[in-house]
Amino acid sequence: MKRIFQYLKKYAFLAFISPLLMIGEVAADLCLPKLMSIIVDCGITGGVDIADSKLGSTVMRIVFGEGSYTSMQIIITFGILMLLIVLVGGFFGVMCAYTAAKASQSLGHDLRCDAYEKVMSLSIEQTDKFTTGSLVTRMTNDISMIINFVEMFLRILVRSPMFFVGGLVMLLSLNISFSLVLLCALPVLVIMLIFVLGKAIPIYSKLQTKLDRLNCVVQENVTGARVIKAYVKEEYEGDRFDKANADLRDTNIRVQRIMAIMHPVLMIVMNAAIIAVIYIGGWQIDNVAGTGMTAGTVMAAITYITQVIMSIMMMTHMFQSVSRAMASVKRVNEILDTDPVIVSGSVTEADSDIAVSFENVSFKYPGSIGKPILSDVSFKVRRGETFAIIGATGSGKTSLVRLIPRFYDATEGEIRIDGVPVKELDLDYLRHKISYVMQKSELFSGTVAENIRWGKEDATDDEVIEAARVAQTEQFILGLNDGYNDMIAEKGASLSGGQKQRMSIARAIVRKPEILILDDATSALDLSTEAKLTSALREKMSGTTVIMIAQRIASVKNADRIAVIENGTIKDCAPHDVLMQTSETYRDIYNSQMKNGGEQA
Amino acid sequence: MNNQRTNGMQNMPNIRPGGPGGRGPMGARINKEKPKNLKKTLGRLLKYIGKSKLLIIALIAITLVVTVTDLAGPALQGAAIDTIKVVDGRITVDLEAMTVFLIAMGIMFAVSATMSLFQGFVAAKLSQSTVYALRSDLFRKISKLPIKYTDTHKHGDIMSRMTNDVENVSVAISQSVTSLISSVLTLIGAFSMMLYYGWIMALIACVTIPLTITLTTNLAKFMRKYFVRQQKLLGELNGQVEEMVTSYKTVVAYGKERKATKEFDEVSAKLRRCSIHAKVWGSVMGPCMNFLGNLQYVLIAAFGGFFILHPVSFMQSLTIGNVQSMLQYSKKFTRPINEIANQYSSILTALAGAERIFEIMDSADEIDEGKSNITVSEIEGNIKFENIHFSYEEGEPVLKGLNLDVKKGQKIAIVGATGSGKTTIVNLLTRFYELDSGKITVDGIDITDIPKETLRRSIAIVLQDTVLFSDTIRANIMYGRPDATEDEMRAAAHFAKADSFIERLPDGYDSMLTESGSNISQGQRQLLSITRAVLADPKILILDEATSSVDTRTEMHIQQAMVALMKNRTSLIIAHRLSTIRDADMIVVLKDGVIAEAGNHDELLSKNGEYAKLYSNQFAGIAT
Repeated sequence: MKRIFQYLKKYAFLAFISPLLMIGEVAADLCLPKLMSIIVDCGITGGVDIADSKLGSTVMRIVFGEGSYTSMQIIITFGILMLLIVLVGGFFGVMCAYTAAKASQSLGHDLRCDAYEKVMSLSIEQTDKFTTGSLVTRMTNDISMIINFVEMFLRILVRSPMFFVGGLVMLLSLNISFSLVLLCALPVLVIMLIFVLGKAIPIYSKLQTKLDRLNCVVQENVTGARVIKAYVKEEYEGDRFDKANADLRDTNIRVQRIMAIMHPVLMIVMNAAIIAVIYIGGWQIDNVAGTGMTAGTVMAAITYITQVIMSIMMMTHMFQSVSRAMASVKRVNEILDTDPVIVSGSVTEADSDIAVSFENVSFKYPGSIGKPILSDVSFKVRRGETFAIIGATGSGKTSLVRLIPRFYDATEGEIRIDGVPVKELDLDYLRHKISYVMQKSELFSGTVAENIRWGKEDATDDEVIEAARVAQTEQFILGLNDGYNDMIAEKGASLSGGQKQRMSIARAIVRKPEILILDDATSALDLSTEAKLTSALREKMSGTTVIMIAQRIASVKNADRIAVIENGTIKDCAPHDVLMQTSETYRDIYNSQMKNGGEQA
Repeated sequence: MNNQRTNGMQNMPNIRPGGPGGRGPMGARINKEKPKNLKKTLGRLLKYIGKSKLLIIALIAITLVVTVTDLAGPALQGAAIDTIKVVDGRITVDLEAMTVFLIAMGIMFAVSATMSLFQGFVAAKLSQSTVYALRSDLFRKISKLPIKYTDTHKHGDIMSRMTNDVENVSVAISQSVTSLISSVLTLIGAFSMMLYYGWIMALIACVTIPLTITLTTNLAKFMRKYFVRQQKLLGELNGQVEEMVTSYKTVVAYGKERKATKEFDEVSAKLRRCSIHAKVWGSVMGPCMNFLGNLQYVLIAAFGGFFILHPVSFMQSLTIGNVQSMLQYSKKFTRPINEIANQYSSILTALAGAERIFEIMDSADEIDEGKSNITVSEIEGNIKFENIHFSYEEGEPVLKGLNLDVKKGQKIAIVGATGSGKTTIVNLLTRFYELDSGKITVDGIDITDIPKETLRRSIAIVLQDTVLFSDTIRANIMYGRPDATEDEMRAAAHFAKADSFIERLPDGYDSMLTESGSNISQGQRQLLSITRAVLADPKILILDEATSSVDTRTEMHIQQAMVALMKNRTSLIIAHRLSTIRDADMIVVLKDGVIAEAGNHDELLSKNGEYAKLYSNQFAGIAT
């Protein structure tokens, strides 16, 4: 909550003026009954002489001058006055709504942007932990909840205390004995509030978890639609969803039931208080002499006690939304309070013949137990060298290259880029040196050109075309309806794996990186395309250090050196020819690929 | 940039041609041509609420009691106070009578309070059941949508409809339904009381009603713009978060965090502007209604006053008391209208949300009109592709007259350059996409005649992009056959060589897979999805680059299992590694949307054509 007020500080003026405008609206609201009673008493029934009403006579004097007035004059004059006051009150109301909306929406905007920026600064393991679905709900649902709360807060802030204090003061001035009633009623209310909210608040936060769960199912269904359809699991998924949905519904009903207790209890307390006031009034008249108690006093007391309790009711509404907002604030705070594990260093200059070096690096995924993924890995890659990594599934190849752009930090040992430890390098500077192409290529909604320009925003058209050419994707792009301006929908779902891979390679190339990491990025390419790609790379990007992971011997064969990785350690590291002589594992891999095809060639 | 995106998205679904195959349009936003229709959406939403008839009736009955007791309370209170009288200048009280009134009052309030407690319970049940049904229907609808829909729509936006929009509907229902009912009841009560005092006066009271209606509908039309836009922007925001978070590694790798944040800020700022507009216009409604209510009050007072002074022949004479009561009821009139006006923005938000929900519900289902009563066990697996034409987007044909005949139990390998349409064949056989023209038959039956369920149950596919669910490994393996025994499940894992890594995990088969799957490698994910297919035991097996992330030695281990797996099954294998397909009964080389060559490995090699070229390419690098 504290944080919300800090955010509100920026809009202090709006937040200050909004409740003030509310006073205007409330004042207009309070005026109306008085005017209505003048219309009835002086205009229609004629029970009260207009001259006896100070307000009535003043207004009539201003409009018609001194004299006596017909009842129609009175009705119409006060009718118009009433409508004017409604308009003025309405104006205040709208202005109050405007300022409250502006303050709360601006706050929401700031909060949203800060939260998003925070997410964007987190490291991969941290976003993994949050899960996409929950980040999405936090960013939209929760923040909307907070916005609504702040708006309501600003609008009720003045209104209910005004009624509360006003009512209380008036009540006490009437007759001390009535305060006894309030003295009994208030604790009951407070105890009830504490009880109800104490029960409801934990459920509200549970509610969000259930919503997350539901979102998770939806998300998996949207992204995994192919597999679900292929296995005809629509019904199963439907049931899975229903379970989460029913769970959410039941929790919702539970919390709403608890909250439903509040209104009747308030009503009972309020009406009991009214009954008590009437009875006390009657009893005093009957038994105590000279109390000055009249029917009018009793009626006034009822009005004020109603006002006090109603203002409490209004506040409970706010509490209710506080409790929901609290849960949301907590969830948004969880984002804002997460400090990125990976902190940028400050070095922005590095130059060395050794582009990448690993020194006794060990690595374990955060939170995982058991054996480390990498243990005691050491190697050096010279500038401009093509360094290949080959090894079994799950041997740690991907984990190894992920350490280079600091997706994760090594658990032990040191990684240096251009001679500087990665932890000391400025993150932007570091990642700008590197282009990392993933196993599973991720494209974005946008045109082909926009996707390639992701690598370098200010790339010229020629640079984009050149990159596409090197990535062997130009032909495909030109075959599209709109060529480079063709739209790629939903992460390129309609493109084949190979097309996506080449598109993301083009994106990597356009950056002209110093270090290019290809993490099995050519697995979906056929070999002829891959061969063309490698030779184009060699030709156009000769100065670039290339670190590539591959499965196929043919892909790595021409690399300057090939590291054979097994169980998290580098077994052998040498050029192809040498490995064929010295590395049994490498020969194994070679044979595994040749046995089923090569020998007959 | 965002506008571009949206335009592009909207154009896409329309591109799809109907084609002579007679398949209906699969476009997602079919209802686009219809202008946004408030009444229709409201009607549909009410139908949802109306589904729980019993609850509605209960709610109306309870609300009726609450309304009546609430109205009786003040009357009794008045009577109780009236027992305080001034007699001979002295204030006296009839304490006994007062006590009676007070007790009656207490009873009324007790009834009212109890009833309003039930009211709360019923309202909660009603709103939650409605939302439950809405969510459930929406979800089931999403699962019925053609793959094309999810391929071409932002997932985040679909998600937003499921969460934000449904949530808004939920809030509106739980808050508004009860107060709407009680408002309507109060209105009816107040109006009939007015009618009781004379139709002329009731008519005068009604003068403001057309004004109210014109004002609300016009204001609503104007406001809706903002509410609809607000929901749309919220959806866009959702989409952005979703896209950037799921692709976070790429975002980080390219140092695009700031750019993503900037884009997010832009949409967020738009949302802020739009929401402020929506709120402000929403708040105009209250004062407007207030004005009209007071106008009614003034009209009754003025005309009432006039008729008292100038009685007219065609109506009963009006007394001062009558006018006074009418004014009281007129105030009663304003309160519920005000209440409705106050709920207005939340109702509009809900309607805008409901519209987006119905938009999905109105998109065309996957076509499934197969009437054939062939069962899964009867399918033998003869597949025939006849003169297949297909394009994802008009003007970009992927397949141009493809013919392919596969006999049951055959093992067919499909090879070809990237983008030559290999995966498309899979998309068509499983009917993820519909043909433009041509025919695919299974055992001689056109696949459009086979119910999709039967067709897909007889096929198991292992895809390039492995999809696993955030559940235990066991549940993921048993996905295709939930009734499998533990032994069968383990046997399948052993068969696909997945058992060794699974058993090494701390929780073995009970290990939970995380959403992003960072706890196991890509290759291990592929092994799991192969295991899943093994256990499903289908007639037709499709392996689309199933082993691309498995290293070759592991693949060699799986190879034997694969050979066993493919035995007696029709298998379509898409792979770039020729080693994995060398043993196929027939190898089909795709080029330019047609089959360039077909035959077994040796035949094709001796032909010295496309396959030979591909083949020498494969090993060109290795031959030292």
